[in-house]
Amino acid sequence: MRLSPQARMQFRRFRSLRRGYWSFLMLVFLSGLALFAEVLVSNRPLLVRFNGHLYSPVYGSIHPGRDFGLDYEYETDYRALRSRFSHETSGNWVLMPLVPYGPNENCYPGQSYTPRPPSASSRHYLGTDEINRDILARLVYGLRNSLLFSVGYVALVYLIGVVIGCAMGYFGGWFDLGMQRFIEIWSLLPFLLVVIIVRAALPPGMPFGLGLLLFVVVLFAWTSMTYYMRSATYREKTRDYVAAAQVLGAGPARVLFNHILPNVLSILVTFLPFTCATAIGSLTALDYLGFGLPPPLPSWGELLKQGTANLDAPWIVASAFSALSLLLILITFVGEAIREAFDPKKFTVYR
Amino acid sequence: MHHARASIVALLTAAALFVGGCGKPASAPATTDATAASRFPGMEADLQRTLKEQPSFYVFKTAADLGKDTQGLTWEDGSDLPSYADPAARKGGTLTIHATDFPGTLRSFGPDSNAHFRSYLSDYVSLGIVRVYPGKPGRIGPELASSWAVDSAKKTVYFRLDPDARWSDDVPFTTDDIVFSWYLFRSPLLDDPWVNDYFIKTFTKLTVYDAHTFSVTLKDMRPDIVVRIGDPDAAMPPAPKHFFKDFGPDWVQKYNWRIMPTTGAYTIREEDIKRTSSVTLSHVRNWWAEDKPWAKGRFNPDRIRLLVIRDPDKLVEEFIHGDIDMLYPITTHVWYDKLPATEASVASGFTVKATFYNRIPPPDWALWLNTALPPLDDLNVRLGIFYATNFDLVCQQFFRGDSVRQKTASDGYGWDPNPAVKPRPFDPDKAREYFAKAGYTQQGPDGVLMNAHGQRLSVTITTIYKSYQDVLVILKQEALKAGLEFNLEVLDATTGFEKEEDKRHEITLTSFQRQVDMYPRYWESFSGANAYDVPYLPDGSPNPARKIKKSTNNLFSLADYDLDQMITAYDKTETMDQVKVLAAKIEQRIYDDAVWVNGWKEPFYWLAYRPWVKWPKDFDPVQSRDPEQFWLMWIDQDEQKADLEAKAEGRGLPPQILTYDKYKEP
Repeated sequence: MRLSPQARMQFRRFRSLRRGYWSFLMLVFLSGLALFAEVLVSNRPLLVRFNGHLYSPVYGSIHPGRDFGLDYEYETDYRALRSRFSHETSGNWVLMPLVPYGPNENCYPGQSYTPRPPSASSRHYLGTDEINRDILARLVYGLRNSLLFSVGYVALVYLIGVVIGCAMGYFGGWFDLGMQRFIEIWSLLPFLLVVIIVRAALPPGMPFGLGLLLFVVVLFAWTSMTYYMRSATYREKTRDYVAAAQVLGAGPARVLFNHILPNVLSILVTFLPFTCATAIGSLTALDYLGFGLPPPLPSWGELLKQGTANLDAPWIVASAFSALSLLLILITFVGEAIREAFDPKKFTVYR
Repeated sequence: MHHARASIVALLTAAALFVGGCGKPASAPATTDATAASRFPGMEADLQRTLKEQPSFYVFKTAADLGKDTQGLTWEDGSDLPSYADPAARKGGTLTIHATDFPGTLRSFGPDSNAHFRSYLSDYVSLGIVRVYPGKPGRIGPELASSWAVDSAKKTVYFRLDPDARWSDDVPFTTDDIVFSWYLFRSPLLDDPWVNDYFIKTFTKLTVYDAHTFSVTLKDMRPDIVVRIGDPDAAMPPAPKHFFKDFGPDWVQKYNWRIMPTTGAYTIREEDIKRTSSVTLSHVRNWWAEDKPWAKGRFNPDRIRLLVIRDPDKLVEEFIHGDIDMLYPITTHVWYDKLPATEASVASGFTVKATFYNRIPPPDWALWLNTALPPLDDLNVRLGIFYATNFDLVCQQFFRGDSVRQKTASDGYGWDPNPAVKPRPFDPDKAREYFAKAGYTQQGPDGVLMNAHGQRLSVTITTIYKSYQDVLVILKQEALKAGLEFNLEVLDATTGFEKEEDKRHEITLTSFQRQVDMYPRYWESFSGANAYDVPYLPDGSPNPARKIKKSTNNLFSLADYDLDQMITAYDKTETMDQVKVLAAKIEQRIYDDAVWVNGWKEPFYWLAYRPWVKWPKDFDPVQSRDPEQFWLMWIDQDEQKADLEAKAEGRGLPPQILTYDKYKEP
């Protein structure tokens, strides 16, 4: 695909806005980190050498303890295995990731459940939470959940919002009027109550997870996008190129998606970072209130909640709060830069 | 009456407030129906009409009949019972404690009355006719009645009211109030189905002999017949007739904020109700029972101030700061992490920490397995889950060894129902054996077992207790060692409660609050009649067309014909010996059915308080569940002054961390 000269110019302008561009690069880096977190933060080793064979348990199915000469069927405790190998001279070894803890495991088996402060020697760089789980691991895997959620959120909200909004603007009349009233009523439904009810109404054997949560949140979030698309479509459809397309015999779908949409793309792109921020904010808020992801899935909202309930263990709230602030600030910087890059006026306050 | 799951109802109330009144309507439409109100002839006329319409229930006899009716019966008065209070307790002073919320009403029955605050309006401060004696298990002590006699053959108990008994507004307490109370609690206008149901189904006759003597006849003879009539926890404390002269279809609204006279030691003054922030109880002047043996040394402070503090973290801060005098309840986290011995107020002696071991039926925390849903209908799966659930770890490391596992479904009644029954230990290998018997033989790539059809061994645990979410996370992690996956579902109180009542849960982590009682109840939770509409065919085999029965306490959907026979026999026992024989069999059967995975219990309670709050030598009676239940503490005002001066000057006091283990079970 070749970029149009205008798009190339916008991209150049975005790159020249250094704060936004660097924020963007950092976001890409963090996303990569979250996506391949297993390599850096995991209770599964990168490599195990056992009796002449090399294993790589980091991805794929679990290795029961029996695979490594232990006497149990469940997943191997690799940290224990490692310390065992280190006392032997068999040539077996275990290579653990930088942070050798998973997000859901009790890092202090046999000891009481209580938050433990950060310590580089135990490799708990941000300490542990109420039930002995590594906070850094939960932050990293929580980031992955947040990002996955926001990608799904943006895709769905845009899809529904664009289709319905464009149709409202393009057809106008009774359809527009009816949809507007519907959206007004729909957005007045108490969102939190619906989340609560949907959760309780699920049939047995259908656990509530990221997908369902996304579905319920999007059910109410799509409305915001429709109004922007509606007004933009209203504006565009009076232009000559639309009339020309119609005269050539193009149907509504073709006119909307092939002709109008590319011309209102800047709205979509501009809103993108802010929609992402909304998604992450919603997920965190829901988790904080206890209506979000089911335990023990790692989430930032849950960590914040724990932190505020355990102010005597300040490392919990500090980690969660800093991480959330940093992420939202980065996204906002990117958003500002995109807005400026796509701004048709040359002189703006951001210049 | 403490309804089953009193704590849940309180939670529900809180949840209803939280969603801004979107919960169930607060009252039935009849109570606001203007025409119904205008048709109502007034309380006195309605009472007289009721007495006339039900002559076989309300019977009026003369004092002369009493001698004949009670011939050969032994009257008891509990005068041999040992005192558990301290006779040296000093009267006076103000005790400041906290309430978790401002009450939604001052009524202690009717809609929305069953909240936490009711303990201070009724449960812990009002008097019953008699009361289970907390200092000696199995015994009954006097309160409004000074003596009583049981006629087992006639299923009747005779009571003589204490002639000194008076309401706090100086009106004498007589059998008029007793007759009115039965009329009130049986009235459909009460809008309190639990109370209605109890008073309509339990009793068959109320006989009045004179102003201070009456008898009550029950449908069935049971070993605890006196308790069923007279104990305010089992029945209700009597209500003042003169106060309810406006009782009618609209009484719920009318009486929301009226202060009911009490026979107990504390009442509320109009000016002491500070909306949303505090309520203060004041000692009744010239209280009639002040010198009765059972009241000596109790109800000591002049004023009990209840500060509304909703946030649990703020509560601890306010206690440390000195805004309240006692901190209860205390979680493991607060006890060890927020109030360690090194914490400034503990180290300086300004906070006293006390552990009191009691012996009461604890809330029966456990996993409740719903046998109506696969794969939990398979006994082998249930047995496997039993062995895959590591409550021992939860007790040891989450509750730090302070909590212990429940032994049977009915601990704490003062006797061991079945010494042979012990909770199955955590044992992943044994769990895998049972899962294999149920067909789950293959271990999937995620470590979860699968059967030949590729179905994963995965079940969902539902709970409404956010505070125990971490317990479930621990259980989930441990269960995976046995190849079992627990999905966790933490719901808000209203919807979660509904899901359990509809029996749509697979497993739930929950408990029922249980009262101090002579023996456990099984029918509510374990009988087939509470699981299905028609549980069995005439030959005792499961009825294939049966339908789930909703809104019962049988959260297992358990219908075990043999168990039902035992429970039916159990509910007809007349002596404690029979009770114990059958309870042993029932406990064994429940254990064999493997539906109730024993959770934890706390065999004690924790309390933190100021050094000038004094307690008796043994602290509290053996059967007390809450330090505010029997009001044995007193304020040493001289010491209070000295301690506060010391605090102001920055002088420390000797630190006190006390343990009262006289009643600790070996």
